[in-house]
Amino acid sequence: MVVLAASIVGKSGKVLVSRQYVDMSRIRIEGLLAAFPKLVGMGKQHTYIETENVRYVYQPIEVLFLLLVTTKQSNILEDLDTLRMLSKLVPEYSMSLDEEGINRAAFELIFAFDEVISLGHKESVTVAQVKQYCEMESHEEKLHKLVMQSKINDTKDVMKRKANEIDKSKIEKTRGDKGGLSSMSSLSSGFNDMSISHGRGSSFGSGSMLGMMSDVEPISTKAKDRSRSSVTAPPKSSGMKLGKSGKNQLMESLKAEGEHIIEDVKPTSQTRAAVAPPTDPFTLTVEEKLNVALRRDGGISSFDMQGTLSLQILNQDDGFVQVQIETGGNPEILFKTHPNINRELFNSESILGLKRPDQPFPTGQGGDGVGLLRWRMQRADESMVPLTINCWPSVSGNETYVSIEYEASSMFDLTNVIISVPLPALRDAPMVKQCDGDWRYDSRSSVLEWSILLIDNSNRSGSMEFVVPPVDSSVFFPISVQFAATSTYSGLKVTGMIPLRGGGGATPRFVQRTQLIAQDYQVV
Amino acid sequence: MDKSCTLLVHYDKGTPAVAKEIKEALEGNDVEAKVDAMKKAVMLLLNGETIPQLFITIIRYVLPSEDHTIQKLLLLYLELIEKTDSRGKVLPEMILICQNLRNNLQHPNEYIRGVTLRFLCRLKETEIVEPLTPSVLQNLEHRHPFVRRNAILAVMSIYKLPNGDQLFVDAPEMIEKALSTEQDPSAKRNAFLMLFTCAEERAVNYLLSNVDKVSDWNESLQMVVLELIRSVCKTKPAEKGKYIKIIISLLSATSSAVIYECAGTLVSLSSAPTAIRAAANTYCQLLLSQSDNNVKLILLDRLSELKSLHRDIMVELIIDVLRALSSPNLDIRKKTLDIALDLITHHNINEVVQMLKKEVVKTQSGELEKNGEYRQMLIQAIHACAVKFPEVASTVVHLLMDFLGDSNVASALDVVAFVREIIETNPKLRVSIITRLLDTFYQIRAGKVCPCALWIIGEYCLSLSEVESGVATIKQCLGELPFYSVSEESEPTETSNKIQPTSSAMVSSRKPVILADGTYATQSAASETTFSTPTVVQGSVTSGNLRTLLLTGDFFLGAVVACTLTKLVLRLEEVQPSKTEVNKTVTQALLIMVSMLQLGQSPASPHPIDNDSYERIVLCIKLLCHRNAEMKKIWLESCRQSFVKMISEKQLTEMAELKAKTQTTNAQPDDLIDFFHLKSRKGMSQLELEDQVQDDLKRATGEFTKDENDGNKLNRILQLTGFSDPVYAEAYVTVHHYDIALEVTVINRTKETLQNMCLELATMGDLKLVERPQNYSLAPETSMQIKANIKVSSTETGVIFGNIVYETSNVMERNVVVLNDIHIDIMDYISPAVCSEAAFRTMWAEFEWENKVAVNTTIQNEREFLDHIIKSTNMKCLTAPSAIEGECGFLAANLYAKSVFGEDALVNVSIEKQTDGALSGYIRIRSKTQGIALSLGDKITLKQKGSS
Repeated sequence: MVVLAASIVGKSGKVLVSRQYVDMSRIRIEGLLAAFPKLVGMGKQHTYIETENVRYVYQPIEVLFLLLVTTKQSNILEDLDTLRMLSKLVPEYSMSLDEEGINRAAFELIFAFDEVISLGHKESVTVAQVKQYCEMESHEEKLHKLVMQSKINDTKDVMKRKANEIDKSKIEKTRGDKGGLSSMSSLSSGFNDMSISHGRGSSFGSGSMLGMMSDVEPISTKAKDRSRSSVTAPPKSSGMKLGKSGKNQLMESLKAEGEHIIEDVKPTSQTRAAVAPPTDPFTLTVEEKLNVALRRDGGISSFDMQGTLSLQILNQDDGFVQVQIETGGNPEILFKTHPNINRELFNSESILGLKRPDQPFPTGQGGDGVGLLRWRMQRADESMVPLTINCWPSVSGNETYVSIEYEASSMFDLTNVIISVPLPALRDAPMVKQCDGDWRYDSRSSVLEWSILLIDNSNRSGSMEFVVPPVDSSVFFPISVQFAATSTYSGLKVTGMIPLRGGGGATPRFVQRTQLIAQDYQVV
Repeated sequence: MDKSCTLLVHYDKGTPAVAKEIKEALEGNDVEAKVDAMKKAVMLLLNGETIPQLFITIIRYVLPSEDHTIQKLLLLYLELIEKTDSRGKVLPEMILICQNLRNNLQHPNEYIRGVTLRFLCRLKETEIVEPLTPSVLQNLEHRHPFVRRNAILAVMSIYKLPNGDQLFVDAPEMIEKALSTEQDPSAKRNAFLMLFTCAEERAVNYLLSNVDKVSDWNESLQMVVLELIRSVCKTKPAEKGKYIKIIISLLSATSSAVIYECAGTLVSLSSAPTAIRAAANTYCQLLLSQSDNNVKLILLDRLSELKSLHRDIMVELIIDVLRALSSPNLDIRKKTLDIALDLITHHNINEVVQMLKKEVVKTQSGELEKNGEYRQMLIQAIHACAVKFPEVASTVVHLLMDFLGDSNVASALDVVAFVREIIETNPKLRVSIITRLLDTFYQIRAGKVCPCALWIIGEYCLSLSEVESGVATIKQCLGELPFYSVSEESEPTETSNKIQPTSSAMVSSRKPVILADGTYATQSAASETTFSTPTVVQGSVTSGNLRTLLLTGDFFLGAVVACTLTKLVLRLEEVQPSKTEVNKTVTQALLIMVSMLQLGQSPASPHPIDNDSYERIVLCIKLLCHRNAEMKKIWLESCRQSFVKMISEKQLTEMAELKAKTQTTNAQPDDLIDFFHLKSRKGMSQLELEDQVQDDLKRATGEFTKDENDGNKLNRILQLTGFSDPVYAEAYVTVHHYDIALEVTVINRTKETLQNMCLELATMGDLKLVERPQNYSLAPETSMQIKANIKVSSTETGVIFGNIVYETSNVMERNVVVLNDIHIDIMDYISPAVCSEAAFRTMWAEFEWENKVAVNTTIQNEREFLDHIIKSTNMKCLTAPSAIEGECGFLAANLYAKSVFGEDALVNVSIEKQTDGALSGYIRIRSKTQGIALSLGDKITLKQKGSS
């Protein structure tokens, strides 16, 4: 099961590229590769050669040979797999499949080979993965760079402000006030910190970036003053000592100077977009609200989903319409129409229209429009719950370890997930050992907020672990959760609008919004 | 061991990269140029040009680069660069790299982290690794599996370094923890591998606590599990029981690679019949399910290994093995048949023959190419079966006789040889075979098959009716007599004139050939017997087959027809009471013979009858005219007897071979007997128990060095300089397969220190120096060893020459001592080998290079001379000893050898004893490449004089 080397040689025996995966002397590998072309027989229908000591498994690629040198005990099936993989990679990296082309791409090929074989063992990778690994495009690095940039900008802002202060203090000084001394000292320390942050720029851990991200939550609107009491998460990877302390120092000292640090990148709030005044003639809103109580030891204590479909019409003239909908066909869901809606029409054709077709739908900009349909679902098993939380406090010594994990159902992609865990009143932030996503501690309300921007297929489950002084485990409940999703239980969709008057047959333009919101989602 | 080499890249020396240019590009800001320059720097480094000033440039300008490609190339550069000084201490500059590596290990880009960790796997210097260990450990918990995977491997490699276990005291523990939580299959595999290599008990524990889940694990992890089991069971055979269950469960895994590995493991662990059976079954299943030829062939290799160890179990599976015949590949079919033939017993012979028969029938229907060759293989296999178990002969012989008329000459020949043997060994079948043969004789189209079939008819037609129908068949096949009519004769004068020159031109242009008896001839006695690859015979069915052949000029056949008729007539005389009938037949036979002679001398035949055939036919005519008892005895009995003798001799040699085979496998009477159980308990030597896999790997990487005889070693010392030279040097030359190692001992004979002493070597021929020479300084009257490696790429005599250059303190000029030449002997590269006669002859015809050496020797005896040549060229004589027995004044023999590079060397020796007692003749050497022909020729010229 050991690949000694992966090589490309020319038909004449010229070694173009070879990468060895075990220790072997140069003369040995050159000897093995030089012997190979002489051993290749013509007209054979198999592509391996065994010699006294090694086995060659090869594949001709136009005028070249791609070959693996393996031990004789090696697993041929696996080696052939590896060879197949490599042969797919060669044309990906080499422009032309001749000696010149290979020469030009020699190093790229070596990098690619390295991804397929590690220490002589085959890695299970696909061509796409190898390409991705070789391109080395890292999302985290980009974010890191962005954060670095914003840091630099922030520091520049601070510098400007400081400069203003200096100006002010100068003015005060000219007034003969002695109080300027302290501000001078704080000023100099501020500059020191700044210079550190520039010099050690590369050492900011990725954790600091996550800390920034936590401010991008949509709820930032309600907490203008909270940033002072809340502690942002320290970097997850403990990084280099100097870098870590440098960063903390910067933050700390900035805070000590009474600076309100706005690290926010502009929050793009979804709710605001929903509220924005409609410009389309018809707006249909499908909204489901979840009221769920999960038991801490598993199972559902209560489940209630309420959904509404509301219609908002901009102009009076457009009021004569009917709405064609389509439901997901979930038998658990019972639909109720507004009393003014023609029930038979709905039951038979899934069309929502008024009982008296000569009346228009009410119009107007205000409010959420007219409710057309309501539905609810009250029975659900655990598999239907979008997010389950598992919280395990365990006391050991004079500490309580709490590990929380979430598991999201594959039905929904959840956005802006915030899991709030009540904690005993603590002075300091709890020690978070590990966290997928990021966290913040609100000392005023003693709540640890664990936020995940998006839960999709890449992170259907995640966990967090933190340590607090010993307390009764019931303190950590109820855990409340907030999130939103764009798909619903009912799967209700508006497929079209049917104009009743002035018909040119053209379907009027309409906008449809669909969302699922956790209204009261708790683990008790 | 030499420094290990991790990569090779072809470097075109035509475009020399100047260090200065590289330096400038590295210092610049252009990323593209930097990448190019880095690549060049790496290639220069690979070619042994360590430009030391580049290193600092790279540290200053490349290390801080943000570009990913540059960082990766930098890692390659660091991988190759010499990191220690001559005393094995780490260079102080390397601490600069450490800083960079540490930053890389904490880089936000996960891929940078990953490749850096991968680079650490290849680092050997503990001093460099040490400061990085905390960062490596952090990466074990990185979010991205790519990083974790490589981090685990890095931990493993560092742990394996000397003193590495002190760097990471708790590494196994940590990895075990990581393993239990890890989700990524690749990282999990690596973690398990780490435990396996560094802390076997932990790996075993983990395995045993997860026994139930093993079958759900990832394929790559399962492979490592199997490897672990193998290794554990080698050291602690007592615990085997625990693992067998795991292996059995893995036998039903989805991945065929795992299944294959399982079977291999099973065989290595246990020799219990059930286990072997399960393994063999698995191999057979894979043999059917895998479509790849490579896989099939290797599976067949495994099966034949099993066969040699556990024949009794494999016997049960013979039918499964034979199913592999469904593959269209000839190599696979051949291997399958080889295995199957060894497994035949009384119980399964019928089944096997049934199956083979079915296959033979199949070859008739489908019109696939190579069907003919396959059929030939099958016929040979059936032949072998019938020889082993004569009772099956009756069931197959009739089927096979259908193929006498096969268009593939080789398989038809095989059939006829088979029939000939069976008819002698199975007297019961004689009657039915003869009847059948006479029925199908007209179908035989090949000129080489007819004589044999005729011989059978002549020998084995015993009863009256048989003899009569035999004569009738021959007559029928010859058609109407005479062979050509006068009307035909009137015109041919011109056509024959045309034909004549062309045919003679054809004969004269024919290349010299080697005959079956080893003689070297420019013109064969019977032109039809040229040994060409099987040809397809054409011919119309309407005219008799014998007639067609005769008309094309096959007079050898004519002679055989004549002999057969003579025999039949003589026999008829015995069984036919009526004298008139006999006389009638005699006249008919005489008419036929005379017509053939007439044809041979007429211009209608493509070329005139050769003397040999002519004489033979005339002899037959004479005999028929003057029949006597003595002649009768010779013709009717002696022929048969000599055939019987031949068959029994053949059987004897086969028996002898079989005996020799069984003898070699047996242990010698005074061999040590190993008691495995005693050995492991005593813990005598771990070495002896060492893993087969490890051996395999070591052998492959060339670490295996055989202990050679010291006396042998001393024989090969070459003195390079004189005793009175200021520097004395001698070399010990070791010839490995692909390389030559020179170990040069240099002794300073002066009272001064030699500075900048350098051993400069140059080569001639297909040799290449691997490294550049280094400078040394040598204190007064001390000695030192210098090693040099030389690569050999083909079999050819090579010369290494060189000189030693040095400086002394008071004379500021360089002194040069010229060394004796070292001749590399071709004999080190060729070894005796065996090939079939047919293969020898085809190669002889194909190869382009011939070297002809006239015999010039003092040796008087032909055999002695041949032995001398064989000994001095290290070749194998292909000609059977019986063929060169006796004193006749002539000797012809073929020699064959193969070089380690797989090149063939063919030699033909043809000598004749002159009247004055001296030997004369030629030795011809043929090979595909010029090198072998030339150097072997030189060698023979040098050595042929004899021992004197």
